[in-house]
Amino acid sequence: MLFPTIEFAIFFPIVLVLSWALMSRQPLWKPFIVVASYVFYAAADPLFCLLLGGITVGNQLAVWLIHRSDDERRRKWITGIAVAGDLLTLGVFKYYGFFVTDVDEVLDAVSLGLPFPLLTIALPIGISFFTFQAITYVVDVKRGDAEPASLIDAAIYLSFFPHLVAGPIVRASEFLPQLQAPRDPNRVAVGAGLALVALGLIKKVAIADTLAREVVDPVFGVPEAYFTPDAILAAYAYAAQIYCDFSGYTDIAIGLALLLGFVFPQNFNSPYRATGFRDFWRRWHMTLSRFLRDYLYIPLGGSRGGRLFTYRNLLITMVLGGLWHGAAWTFVLWGAFHGVGLVSEHALGGRIGRQTPAWLRWFATFNLVCFGWILFRSQDLDLFGTFLGRLVDPGPATLWTVPVLLAILVVIGMQVLPPRPVERLQLRIERLRPALLAVALAFVILLVGATVPSQGVPPFIYFQF
Amino acid sequence: MSRFDREGARGYTARDAVKAMVIIVGLLILFAGGSIGSSAARMDQGIGRDLVSAVGEPTEWVADRLPLDEAESELTAGLSPDQELGEGGFDAAGAVAGARIPPITPEAFDPVAIGAPAPPKRPLETVLVTGDSLATPLDTELARRLAPDGVRVIRDPHLATGISNPDLVDWGRLSAGQMRRDDPDAVVVFIGANEGYAIPGPDGEEIECCGTDYAAAYANRVRQVMDTFRQGGETKVYWLTVMTPRDRDAAMVIKMVNAAIEVAAEPWRSQVRVVDTVPIFTPGERYRDAIDVDGTETIVRESDGIHLNETGAGIAADAVLERIDQDFTR
Repeated sequence: MLFPTIEFAIFFPIVLVLSWALMSRQPLWKPFIVVASYVFYAAADPLFCLLLGGITVGNQLAVWLIHRSDDERRRKWITGIAVAGDLLTLGVFKYYGFFVTDVDEVLDAVSLGLPFPLLTIALPIGISFFTFQAITYVVDVKRGDAEPASLIDAAIYLSFFPHLVAGPIVRASEFLPQLQAPRDPNRVAVGAGLALVALGLIKKVAIADTLAREVVDPVFGVPEAYFTPDAILAAYAYAAQIYCDFSGYTDIAIGLALLLGFVFPQNFNSPYRATGFRDFWRRWHMTLSRFLRDYLYIPLGGSRGGRLFTYRNLLITMVLGGLWHGAAWTFVLWGAFHGVGLVSEHALGGRIGRQTPAWLRWFATFNLVCFGWILFRSQDLDLFGTFLGRLVDPGPATLWTVPVLLAILVVIGMQVLPPRPVERLQLRIERLRPALLAVALAFVILLVGATVPSQGVPPFIYFQF
Repeated sequence: MSRFDREGARGYTARDAVKAMVIIVGLLILFAGGSIGSSAARMDQGIGRDLVSAVGEPTEWVADRLPLDEAESELTAGLSPDQELGEGGFDAAGAVAGARIPPITPEAFDPVAIGAPAPPKRPLETVLVTGDSLATPLDTELARRLAPDGVRVIRDPHLATGISNPDLVDWGRLSAGQMRRDDPDAVVVFIGANEGYAIPGPDGEEIECCGTDYAAAYANRVRQVMDTFRQGGETKVYWLTVMTPRDRDAAMVIKMVNAAIEVAAEPWRSQVRVVDTVPIFTPGERYRDAIDVDGTETIVRESDGIHLNETGAGIAADAVLERIDQDFTR
């Protein structure tokens, strides 16, 4: 079920009312919210619920075993097996096709072909997110950062519908404590919730989908048909689109969770304001960045073993982070590109900061990130090469329209402006009377709804990951 | 502590949240209650669609009795990205074939097939690629192949639509609008993934899929769309049949769709080319994920068991271009 759809518009008010009606009776509320979340998930494919249930039970079993054992070696082994099981599940569903086609092609060249059958396997929506959350649960309990939860709490944590399909990746240690007592019905961030849902809808439906339809999809689909001006426009338009699409989804997810009484971590903080790669990853998909840092980079050794060791760990982390986005060489290279960017920053150390003006660092970072997005958006390396060729092939501009330019400028400009006034405005809106915000949100829904084509709202980009 | 605690945003109650939701739902019913039914038409058949339809009935009843829904539609009409539809929907006169025996015309014969001289080839300048989700990524593959020749390819797929489901998009009107807007030399059509909806028969009664009555009613609609696309012979139409899907129930519908395409194209064989994808992807109407491509087993289908992946779409594009090259130069 997608957020900006009529199905969800029917589903959510019912869940909201019942959730608060049952909140004080936790033995009723907990099964209710699990059932509601599984209904939400089953709308994609009921069979996927079996997988989600299996992941929940498997990881809960591991957590119990870890908690009951005093033997550190045994705890390590159980954690390793549970994490391997989660990664294996992710691998089979997400990367099987990639390995039996693309990787096999490479291995075939050196007579080492894979003996696996050719199959098409459906990718369960959100699998990358809930397997990662399952990993944080097991590892956090092993590290002592989170207490083992009951099976029903673990089921809520992994299936809670606002974050189920595209994050943010909420850690067990952040979410499970919120389940220990009923949410306080007298402390609900209604204004912030409604404002975030409205903002998310505008970002996704009015901006991201329009940019995709008008510029990005045509140019990235057939770059051969366009020249330099349109290719440049499409590159910047995609930067604006992916930000609005993903942060729009996150805004809606955080807003819905707030209305239900839950708090999710921040996932974006004006990423196009970044003045370096490290800064970018502190602002873009922040919950993935910290997952990669805490559950991959640091366990690999982090920066504790000298320069080259650190660079290796950075590169491994970013390449795997790229691969997490999808089973394609373009994602691997996109991760490697950011890895090289981070390594370069490390290698040059403070010299860049001292010698380069801030605006130049911002300009370079922004354009390098946009270049990376071309790789990310290209379906394959051939298309990437073709697109690069169009960037330097002068010709007419056919897609430059005022609404498109305005949308790109607003999306980038809002992030570059000093943050204080924007934050103050946001705070003032969030403190408006809920009834007033409700009327505003209803009209936002009507207005953005009018911009939806007859074939409906396209899925969020991150749903495919 | 979250920013919502720091900034004192939690100053409201659950009652406020519920009240806000009641206001939102109430306003949406008043201003857009009538559109819930059409949203249901867009959904796949099943419980979800039934539930949305059930909710849509009373909200439509409320919206119909107030002028707000209509006013909202008029005020926001300018924001819609949908293109204007043309005349002559499926309900219009002529959607159902007349009773007298139609004469067979020369257009019914492909000259090459009967050994007659082929007409001179025309230069190909504009191609419209359309259909439902099946038309993607075929549209992109064709556009990429034709771009180096300077051929303009208009990609206009309408996802989730079906010729048997005019509640979402009436292909009778949509095709007329497309031809008026684009006036292409050739139209490539790939549609059939969302068929099987009940269709009114000649006496107005709904016919359920997939008997011969239904096939006839469906073929009449296909023929109407083909007739619009061929523009009296000015435009060549390349209509792809649908390769057998994995699901058996869906395969039954597709079998009917393909039979209807063949029958519908009969009067204009020289202008409407049926590109049969079944022998290419599913010989013997037997579903398979992978086929032999240049001596290597290669996956050509998406995991849903219906659509072609990029490789498959590339193979379909080759088949289409082979037919196009018989009629055009580029």
